[in-house]
Amino acid sequence: MSKENKYVFLIGIIIFGVSFFLSGFSSSDLKLSPRLQEKLNNAVKTTFEVETFRLENIKIPNEVNAKTPVEFGGENLFKISQDSQTLGYVYLGQAPSMKNIFDYVVLFTNDMHIKKSKVLIYREDYGRQIGSQRWLKQFIGKKSGDTLVYSKDVDAISGATISAKSMTKAINDVLASIKTLQENRTI
Amino acid sequence: MKKSKVFLLFVLGAFALVSAQKKKELDKKAILDMCGCYEITFKYTETFAPEIDYEKKLDYTAAALEMALPIITEKDRISIQHLLVINDTLVIKHWRQDWEYENQNVFHYDKDNNWIFQTLPKDQVKGQWTQKVFQVDDSPRYSGSATWIHADGKHYWENKSDSPLPRREYTKRSDYNVMKRGNRHEITSFGWIHEQDNDKVIRKDGEEDLLLAQEKGMNTYTKVADERCQAALTFWEKNKGFWAKVRSLWDEVYDRQGNLTLHKSVDKMPLFMHFYPMEKMDAGPVAIKETIDKFIVEQTTGDEQGK
Repeated sequence: MSKENKYVFLIGIIIFGVSFFLSGFSSSDLKLSPRLQEKLNNAVKTTFEVETFRLENIKIPNEVNAKTPVEFGGENLFKISQDSQTLGYVYLGQAPSMKNIFDYVVLFTNDMHIKKSKVLIYREDYGRQIGSQRWLKQFIGKKSGDTLVYSKDVDAISGATISAKSMTKAINDVLASIKTLQENRTI
Repeated sequence: MKKSKVFLLFVLGAFALVSAQKKKELDKKAILDMCGCYEITFKYTETFAPEIDYEKKLDYTAAALEMALPIITEKDRISIQHLLVINDTLVIKHWRQDWEYENQNVFHYDKDNNWIFQTLPKDQVKGQWTQKVFQVDDSPRYSGSATWIHADGKHYWENKSDSPLPRREYTKRSDYNVMKRGNRHEITSFGWIHEQDNDKVIRKDGEEDLLLAQEKGMNTYTKVADERCQAALTFWEKNKGFWAKVRSLWDEVYDRQGNLTLHKSVDKMPLFMHFYPMEKMDAGPVAIKETIDKFIVEQTTGDEQGK
């Protein structure tokens, strides 16, 4: 093998390795960590006041996923059921805080009104106020297609502006995305 | 020269002895100052939780009229029985706190209704008072040793001790299983304050404790005229014989090292409910012992405690 070919081969190996590594972390292949799964389960249990339930991952076609502001490619949207009865739906997503990202859930009733939203994992010291139900309860009852304006429809939080704006945007994006799914008869 | 040194040492020793005795008397006075008839307010609020998704529970508030009665006052031991007075007539035997000077035998709560009994080194408890707290049926709750502090016009005692869930959450919650109680008893001009800084923790075998939430508690005891607790005094006069037998039989159980595991209920009833009819008929020691024994879980070896 010539010296030139050796370089080409080496670069090829590196590109393949990096692609393989990145593909392992793409959102569509992400599996929930045990901690996140436990928190998700607790959120469902306490919100719907059930001890046992089933979470069924709803797969959204790529062409519909491409139209929505939030990601539906991985383990994001679930139908919650108990026996043969559907209790509601839950969307699990991530949004940016000041220097990191946080995990949140939006829990819906059967008719796609927000029953509750929760921040599940927050990864920095500033902005933790967004986890308080005193603030999050403002999203209860909102439905697909509704839009909320930060500091007008939703109270601003002094000292947590970035995260509070981010959570408000995340809720808006989820509501808009649910509307898109409904329009495409995906759910 | 030698004689003067011996004399000086003798004087210093005598002085230290008198100081320790004076301090002990101040301690005993503070403990006995918790006795009397009180109007009490109970307030609890959850404060901090490490996990952002934890939803703080509603505040708990309650009020009561209670007699704190000194039932044993000895040189190194004081026992205070709390008696709730409801509607001025109905009396319910409440918790009991025993105070023991330089006591080495303590117990702490592990989990799953199991308590560990152990002996502390003598030098560790020098000058300290152990507070032992018992349930309404005189079964154990928690204990801890610390020094009474008399400084800056304040008289207080502080300790941290593991305990089961408090009665107010005992049947309502299962998301934590041990309460690390921060107890502070302070004598005030109006009575006393039982202040608490509690950690609600999840304890599992072989794992580090996991903090679920913290809580502030403020139980304020405001002294009122003893006559308001007359019903409690009458109740105790009638029933003190029965409860003396119960305490004595429990003391035999507590004379141990290691585990004591108790059933939460037998025949679908907690121990205090078994005791109600027995109290009425002033049951004898054999019947009381039989009842207590039913609640003691036979130990198997190899118990692994939480950390």
